[in-house]
Amino acid sequence: MKRVVTIAAALSLAASMSLAGTVVEAVKVHSLKGFKCGTKLVKKIKWQKVEVYPQTTLKLNDKKALELHKNAKAKVVQVGALTDGKNVAIVMRWPDKTKDVFKGYKSDIYADGFAVQFAANPADAKKLPYIGMGSDGRPVEIIIRKAYDVVYEPNGNGDVEHQVNPHNTNYFGKDLNKFEKEVQQRGLRTYQRAFVSEGFRSMTEIKDNSVRYRTDMHYVGKKGMWGGTVVKPVKDMYEKPAKGELAIAVAVWDGKELERDGLKRLSSWIAVRLPGGKNKALEKVVTEKVKGDVANGKKQFETNCASCHRTRDFNTAPLYMAPGLENIGGQATAAYIRESILDPNAVIVPGYNRNAHPNFAWYTVDEKGKRTSTMPPFNYLDKKTVDDIVAYLQTQKAEVEK
Amino acid sequence: MSKRQLAMVMDLNKCIGCQTCTVACKTQWTNRNGREYMYWNNVETYPGDGYPKKWMELGGGFDAAGDLQPGIIPNIEADYGVPWDYNYDSLAEQNLIDDKPEAGWRPETSPTWGPNWDEDEGAGDFPNDNYFFYLPRICNHCSNPGCLSACPRDAIFKREEDGVVLVDLDRCQGYRYCIAGCPYKKIYFNPKISKSEKCILCFPRIEQGLPPACAQSCVGRIRFVGFLDDEESQVHKLVHKYKVALPLRPDYGTQPNVYYIPPVDTPPKFDAEGRIIEGSNRIPTEELEKLFGPAVHEAIKTIKAEREKRAKTGKSELMDILIAYQHKDMFRLDHNYYVEVAKKKGMKPLPLVDERYVAGKYTKNLHFKVHA
Repeated sequence: MKRVVTIAAALSLAASMSLAGTVVEAVKVHSLKGFKCGTKLVKKIKWQKVEVYPQTTLKLNDKKALELHKNAKAKVVQVGALTDGKNVAIVMRWPDKTKDVFKGYKSDIYADGFAVQFAANPADAKKLPYIGMGSDGRPVEIIIRKAYDVVYEPNGNGDVEHQVNPHNTNYFGKDLNKFEKEVQQRGLRTYQRAFVSEGFRSMTEIKDNSVRYRTDMHYVGKKGMWGGTVVKPVKDMYEKPAKGELAIAVAVWDGKELERDGLKRLSSWIAVRLPGGKNKALEKVVTEKVKGDVANGKKQFETNCASCHRTRDFNTAPLYMAPGLENIGGQATAAYIRESILDPNAVIVPGYNRNAHPNFAWYTVDEKGKRTSTMPPFNYLDKKTVDDIVAYLQTQKAEVEK
Repeated sequence: MSKRQLAMVMDLNKCIGCQTCTVACKTQWTNRNGREYMYWNNVETYPGDGYPKKWMELGGGFDAAGDLQPGIIPNIEADYGVPWDYNYDSLAEQNLIDDKPEAGWRPETSPTWGPNWDEDEGAGDFPNDNYFFYLPRICNHCSNPGCLSACPRDAIFKREEDGVVLVDLDRCQGYRYCIAGCPYKKIYFNPKISKSEKCILCFPRIEQGLPPACAQSCVGRIRFVGFLDDEESQVHKLVHKYKVALPLRPDYGTQPNVYYIPPVDTPPKFDAEGRIIEGSNRIPTEELEKLFGPAVHEAIKTIKAEREKRAKTGKSELMDILIAYQHKDMFRLDHNYYVEVAKKKGMKPLPLVDERYVAGKYTKNLHFKVHA
C-alpha cells in the first residue's frame, strides 16, 4: 500500500511539473562569442513561458506609481538559455507596448529594463535565497540592464576638466562645440550593472570586474516586445551551478508604469538545466504545486495569518504590518512558504527602511546584528493544515495580462 | 539621531530676497553636470507656489503615527523650470538687411515655471492688506529625514559627527523615492548621472572653518550657523534659550534643523479710505502658524517683549544677537572637533583655511587673526 501511495505521489508530481513549466533547458552551442539580441543562434533556443508578477510585498512611497499599480497584472516572459560549456546566455523576451528609454533632461521618466538573478548556491534546493533580493547567508548575483540613452559616472572617472559648466570654460564657437562633444563622448551608452545582494537594501554593486558579463537589449516595435540577453560564465566567484543546474529568476521593469527598483514584475525561481545536468531536487522545488484543500487553507489563513498579512481576499491587516502576500503564489516556491510558516527566522529579509514605518517592526535586531522575526513560528500546525495554507497561498497571484 | 547636530537659523525679518545666497550656492555647487536646474538654496516669496511649484502639496513626510507618506516627484519643465538660453546665435549671425529679423533678445524656449517665478506677488489686495515675505530654503538636514526613510537602498545617511544628511552616490541608483519622501522637495534627481543629489551644508567648507556659502554671502546677515549642543553658539540661544527660532512645517514630522525667526513686524493695513488701521498686522498669524506651528505665538511675544526691554533699558541679549553685529559671533564652527573626528577614523585631518569663525565648544585654542 505504501508503495502505491508513493507511486501516486510521483505521478501527481510529474503532472504538476509539466503544468508549472519553470525548467529551462540550456541548448548547447559551439560558441557564444558576439552573441546578442538578433543573432542567428536565437533560433536554437527552447523557449519556456514564465509568468512574472507585480512586487507587492512592500508598498513604496511614490503616489503616482501606487495609483498606476492598483490592479497591476502579471506578464508572460519567454525565457531560454544557451551555453557553450564555459558561458551561459540567458535570453528573454517580454511584451511591453511602449519603448521607454531614459533620455534627456528629465526628472520623472523611467527606463524599461530587465534583470536576471542567480542563486549563489542552489545546492540545497529547499533553501533557495529569498526571491528577488536574496537573504542573509543566501546571496544572489543580480545583473541588470536598463534602457538608457547615455549616463555619466558621478565622479567622471576622476576627470575634473570636463565636469565644469560649458559657460565656465574659456571656449567659444567651434572650440566650445568640440568641448561639448568631448563631454558627450565620456558618457556610458550601456547601463548594465552587476550586484550581489543578501536582502532588501543590501544590494551592492560589483565594481571590481570580478564578474565578466555582457548584456544586450533590443525593442521590436512591430511586435511590441523587448528582447534581452545576459551572457556570463556558468560559474563565477558569486554563483555556481549545482549538479549541472542553475537557479535563476527574472524581473522586468516597465518605464511607462513608473517602474524601478521594487516596483517591478518578478518570476519565481527557474531551474536552468545545462547539458548533461540533472538536479531533480531543484526541479522539484521550482515546480512544486502543493495539492491541498484550498478552501480549508483559506479558512486556516484567516484564523492564523490574516490579522497581520494581507492577501487578495483579506485586507483587514493594518498596512505596513507585515509583508503583503497578494502575489506570493506567483513568486515564492512552496518550500519557501512552508519554511516561513514553520520557522519565520529561517529567512528574515530586511524589510522597509525601519525609519519609514517605525510602528511595525517586522523583526528585532540584537547588538550583534542578528535578526529575530516578529512572527511567531507556526510549527504546532499539523502537516495537512500547513499544506492547505501553502496551497491557498499558491493561488494568491495577479491575473495574467492577455 | 546623530551625536551632534549642526543647525542654521534664518531671520525672516531681515531677508530682502536678494538671492545672493542662491547665487553663492549655484556657483559653488550646481551650475554644472546635470545640476543646472537644481537650487539647493532658493529664496521664494511667501505666500506663493514656491520651488518646486506647490511643493507643500506634493506629499512626503510623516503622519502623526510616524508612517512615511507617499509623495509626488516633480517634473523638471513644469515644476522646477529648466534654465534656458537666449537667441545669441541668431542675433550674432543675422543679416540685418536681408533677414528682416525680429528685433529683440528672448529665451529660446517658452518656460512656464522657474525658481522665482512668482516673486513678490504675495496675497491680499493692494494697497489695503497685501503682504508677502521671503522664505529662503535649503535642505533642513532633518533629525528624522523623509528622504533617508524612503530610500530602499540605504544610500542616504546622516553623518554621526554633525548630522549633515548626505547621499552616497556609490549606492544611489536613481530610484527617486527620496524625492517623494522629502516634504520640502529639497533633494533632486540628477538626470545626467541618474542619481539623487542635495544640499550638503557645505560640509567641505565647514570642516575647514568656513561657514556654508549661502550663510557667509548673506548681505542681510540673516543666517546663523553653529552646533545645537554648543550653549555658547547663537544658534543654541535662538533655538533653545529664547525659543524664537522655529522649524518650517514641523507637522511634516521630519524634525528639521534649519530654524526660522518668524516675521514679527509688518506694516498695518489700510481701511477703505486709505487710513491706517491701528494695531493691525498685514501678515495673518494663521499663515505663520501654518508654517511654523503653534509655537509661533510665543516666539512673536518673546521677540516683542525683548525689543521693548531693549528700548527701555538698552539691554537685551536676544536683540544683540538678532542685530548680528559680527560674523565671528554668528558662525561658531568647530575645527578642532573635526580634527578629532578625522583622527578617530584614521583619516588625515583637513587644514584650517579660515580662522575667523572657529570658536566652537571643542575648540580650545581661540585663534582670532584679523584678515585684511
